Amino acid sequence: MSESTIFMLAFILYALAAAFYFAFLYSKKENPAGVGFTIALIGLLFHTLALVLRTVESGHAPFTNMYESLSFLAWASILAFLIIEGKYKVRRPGAYLLLIVIALMALASSPLMPKEATPLVPALQSYWLWLHVSVTLLGEAFFAFAFITSIMYLSAEAKEKKGKAPKSGLTAEKLDSISYRTIAIGFPLFTLGGLVFGMVWAFKAWGTYWSWDPKEVWSLITWFVFALYLHTRIVMGWKGRRSAAIAIIGFLAALFTYFGVNYLLAGLHSYA
Amino acid sequence: MKALLNFFTSVRVAITLLIILICASTIGTFIPQERSASEYLVRYGQLGPLLQRLQFTKLYHSFWFIALLLLFALNILICTLVRLFPKFHRAFKPKIETEPRNILSLKIKDKFKVGLPPAEARDEVKKELSRRRYRLRASEAEKRHFFYARKKVLGWFGSDVVHLGILIILAGGIVSGLAGFRRDLTFVENQTLPISGANFSVRLDKFITEYYPDGSVKDWKSLLTILDAGKTLSQRMIEVNHPLNHRGYIFYQSGYGWDWEHPSLEVWVKKKGDQAYLKKVWLKFGEKTALGGESLDLSVLQFIPDFVLDEKNQPTTRSLEPNNPAAFIEGWQGTEKIFSGWVFAKFPDFSRLHSAKETDISLELKDVQAPSYSVIQMAKDPGVLLIWIGCGLLMGGLFLAFYWPTRELKIILEDSHGKTEVAAGGIALKSREAFQTEFENIINSLRKRK
Repeated sequence: MSESTIFMLAFILYALAAAFYFAFLYSKKENPAGVGFTIALIGLLFHTLALVLRTVESGHAPFTNMYESLSFLAWASILAFLIIEGKYKVRRPGAYLLLIVIALMALASSPLMPKEATPLVPALQSYWLWLHVSVTLLGEAFFAFAFITSIMYLSAEAKEKKGKAPKSGLTAEKLDSISYRTIAIGFPLFTLGGLVFGMVWAFKAWGTYWSWDPKEVWSLITWFVFALYLHTRIVMGWKGRRSAAIAIIGFLAALFTYFGVNYLLAGLHSYA
Repeated sequence: MKALLNFFTSVRVAITLLIILICASTIGTFIPQERSASEYLVRYGQLGPLLQRLQFTKLYHSFWFIALLLLFALNILICTLVRLFPKFHRAFKPKIETEPRNILSLKIKDKFKVGLPPAEARDEVKKELSRRRYRLRASEAEKRHFFYARKKVLGWFGSDVVHLGILIILAGGIVSGLAGFRRDLTFVENQTLPISGANFSVRLDKFITEYYPDGSVKDWKSLLTILDAGKTLSQRMIEVNHPLNHRGYIFYQSGYGWDWEHPSLEVWVKKKGDQAYLKKVWLKFGEKTALGGESLDLSVLQFIPDFVLDEKNQPTTRSLEPNNPAAFIEGWQGTEKIFSGWVFAKFPDFSRLHSAKETDISLELKDVQAPSYSVIQMAKDPGVLLIWIGCGLLMGGLFLAFYWPTRELKIILEDSHGKTEVAAGGIALKSREAFQTEFENIINSLRKRK
């Protein structure tokens, strides 16, 4: 089987997993979510195989163009979701995260994204490509999860205010705490991959660790927003709605760093 | 003075500065930076000069942005120091709690009896806590034992280490800005350039461009030799992503090009009337080359690597890549010019020779070569070491802050008719649920002791 067939198979499995998760959301029975979890896990295995095949075929890290990096971000998001769900035993956010993954996979497989593996330009031939991109995108995947739980928090909090207790046992407070813990995983990863590894690689390739290139600035902005989240929360005791709002802004900033900068602003990071 | 200190110790000020930095940085990504005044005038009209005066057009190097960063650094420094001293005190001179009431007002707590006399219970507590890697401080009073146990105390200092890392990174940035420099060195092969300010020079021995099968560039490599007064100190092949570091001077492969002022051209001379006639000659720019067996000299007057006609229909070059090489060649017989015209390597049919005299000669441009040069960026940046130290502290601090949660236990044992009354409480600022579980395990195993 070719890489693209396996990629499509993973895509279908994720869609199937999402269907089971939504069956769980609306039927309120636990079983479908368990099945969905297993299907997502199998999907992840196929997706991993697709990424490995891609690496073998192209001879370089599988995130050098938009198709590859979208696919990897989807992969990382599934990984983040499996880790968080396994660790904190919360099922509901998975349903919405799978929607994001499906959107990423759909975008990756759309005809707008050139899929052929092109040879690497000299600047990208470095093992720092692996370290920089994979760790950054993994961090962003956790931000995506916190984005979901923050939105769920806002909706749960609004309902609780009206006196409706959550039927699922997933209280607003719990969602708030999960958002924080997810960011506590994503923030160090993003710092390491995006900023530290990015600086090391920039120094090796361009001779300067920081050049205020738009992508660099936007990573810094994303980092500042999550620093704001942590300080308002830990030092000033902010919780709940204001925290959730900052986490949402933070993810949108990360998204802009990833997509927007490439399409709207010109700079050194013109590869992917 | 006091008000100033209060200003800098305030977290609100830190948060405000952070928000201002976020907004300012954002603006800088939407206004193109460091362009010409005329470009800003076209783009923003009347606003252009204002933006330039306010330094929005070189925002990240502007006076006010740097001042903002320095203010932020000062705020981080003072906020950290102010909070550091109480933490040191708590870490190195912890108070051993002697009042059970205070312990039982903690969030994580328990109170129970064990069927052991206090002296034995004390040993059991010590054993259990050291088994779980707690560091213990103990004191006692009449019929009572007090414990203060703690582990992973470094976790408290995670945020301080992060802040120290950020300050060192900013300091590194300042050092780079003030003392760092970079310069482009343009070499042709076998050229030696002295490095001003340093007592060595650099020679380019070889420059290679490698291509993929599809013709795109795979890599540029330059073989560099470092020379000191003619003696070879070291020699290395550098390529993109693999620079050479010599005494803090780092040499990067940054570009390449051809010296199109001095090309050599291979030209095939044919005759329309004589199919078998073929002469191959290499022409050098600006030199007359005699064609053997004919009374004919050829010379190149003009060479264009990527030929295109501009708006005024004048030949010009689109790029410095040899995409469409063209040469203007003249043919001379003694002192008489017999033909001249453009010859195209990629489009031989377009070649046109205008002749003043009848001739059946035609020319084909078969190959063009020019000395290739390598652009090497030389950089010296004494701030870099600070940056890496700062990054290390930043990551180490983040690890401590998020994944090395400090745990404190306070325990009082009190004699109650030969048995022991235990009051225990715990404090954890981070990952409280996990600590709750550990606390319950400790209590349960103490309860079981008989």
